[in-house]
Amino acid sequence: MRSTTVVRTSRRTFLAVASASILALGLSACGGGGSALPGGPGSQSASSSDSTASFLKGAPVAAEATMADGTTMAKIRKRGYLIVGGSSDAPLLSQKNPVTGKYEGFDAYMGQLLATYIFGKPNVHILSSATQTREALLQNHTVDVVFQTYSITPERAKQVTFVGPYLSSGFEIATRKGDNVSSLAELDGKTVIAGANTPAIAKIKKEAPKAKILTFDTDPACIQALTQGRGTAYVQDSITLAADLKDHPDFQINGKPFDTGHMGIGVPKDQNDMAGFVNTWLTTAVKDGSWTKVWNASLGTALGDTTAPAPGSVPDVYTPKA
Amino acid sequence: MPALTDHLPQLTDGLLSTLLLMVLSFFGALILGLLVAAARVSPVASLRGAATAYVELFQNIPLLAWLLLFVFALPEAGIIFPLFTTAVIVLSLYEAAYTAEAIRSGINSVGLGQAEAARALGLTTLQNLRHIVLPQALRAVVQPLTNVFIALTMNTSLAAAVGVVELTHAANEVNLQEAQPIAVFVGAGIAYMALALVIGLTGGFIERRVAIVR
Repeated sequence: MRSTTVVRTSRRTFLAVASASILALGLSACGGGGSALPGGPGSQSASSSDSTASFLKGAPVAAEATMADGTTMAKIRKRGYLIVGGSSDAPLLSQKNPVTGKYEGFDAYMGQLLATYIFGKPNVHILSSATQTREALLQNHTVDVVFQTYSITPERAKQVTFVGPYLSSGFEIATRKGDNVSSLAELDGKTVIAGANTPAIAKIKKEAPKAKILTFDTDPACIQALTQGRGTAYVQDSITLAADLKDHPDFQINGKPFDTGHMGIGVPKDQNDMAGFVNTWLTTAVKDGSWTKVWNASLGTALGDTTAPAPGSVPDVYTPKA
Repeated sequence: MPALTDHLPQLTDGLLSTLLLMVLSFFGALILGLLVAAARVSPVASLRGAATAYVELFQNIPLLAWLLLFVFALPEAGIIFPLFTTAVIVLSLYEAAYTAEAIRSGINSVGLGQAEAARALGLTTLQNLRHIVLPQALRAVVQPLTNVFIALTMNTSLAAAVGVVELTHAANEVNLQEAQPIAVFVGAGIAYMALALVIGLTGGFIERRVAIVR
């Protein structure tokens, strides 16, 4: 009786190992150089740590008086680190480097800049938040702020306070090389891929009502779907697409960016002191050139120079009371 | 609540898609599971080995990994199905492993003497399975199969991650517009709960009807 059990176990183990290795073989065979699976490690170089440090040099630090006892900022200071809701798989925006384990990109650096404003050091814990859960994470104070290309919409502004805009971007249409599409209307009746989290979906429905919209949770999944021909075009904000095109020379961008949208920093609705504080920080960072330094260290490498959007310049964002 | 009522058609479409996904996959899993279970108890060693390998392969790798593999890796090998079809195939293959194990436990519950008696009367292995063993085995596993069906229903939500517009995906879309995650996902959760309850009660009903009184 005993001996059969032993035989069973070893056979199970053998099978588990065998099936895992079959899968691994299949994966490497399908890889073909690039990452076949979405979310696979990208081709980010680990050498960007030099530029990471440079934007923090001379970064603004808040005066003690602005973080008096009893304020939200004092609580964060007591904790010792800032909890930021963000992504870990967005190239140039907020991507966890698989080699160093550090977060790289515009949103990640802006979070570090805000932490430096509070502590004098970039003490940040990034909590990987899904686009579906950002409002809830802010409302129940799991995170202090959200830096995640968080598009400002009136519906969302009812749930959270937006400070910003800190980033603006239009949408663009990406296709495989050779497929020329000049406008959304031309995509009517075709299959269009879009990120599950973009306000672009409403726009596509309006301009091309007969288009079939295919959405995936992450940008790498959308890219993979476009590569494999699951759709004619991929509509996404120009910042994300610029980052994607760096790794995918077989894609092209068609036409001009349309429907400029603005992104804000999400702050809990019930923490007006924090919203004011973040707003002061953002205004300072834009004015003293810190914003531009962060841009140059991240998105600027793919998109070139730009000017920072003016905080408070769009509806539905926090405006300081006079 | 307006977040839910304003988007009722969208959510109903998602629910219908979930239902279709659930029913198609369950029948796929049931048929495939029967075959695998039959192979696992067959007298042919290579069939037994293949069936065991199948069960171990599908039970030891998470469903999401299978979905991603079928949706994103298979096209690299030149095999591309529509997303919904892919989801049905993967769910059927995956749940078939669990169905097969449930059915096998049922087969083991049928007394050895019955199969021996059938063989003594000259029935072939297939006849033996079809007329003697399986009818009794299936009656014994109505409840375990119901559990597999409920698990399958919950698992259909993973299809949302690969672009299939079912209930969870529809809820995501509505939430994107309304930014009301709690209302939207509690609503979707209640719909899933209702589905599971209906399946559970139906399973209980069937079990009482076909129970073997010993």
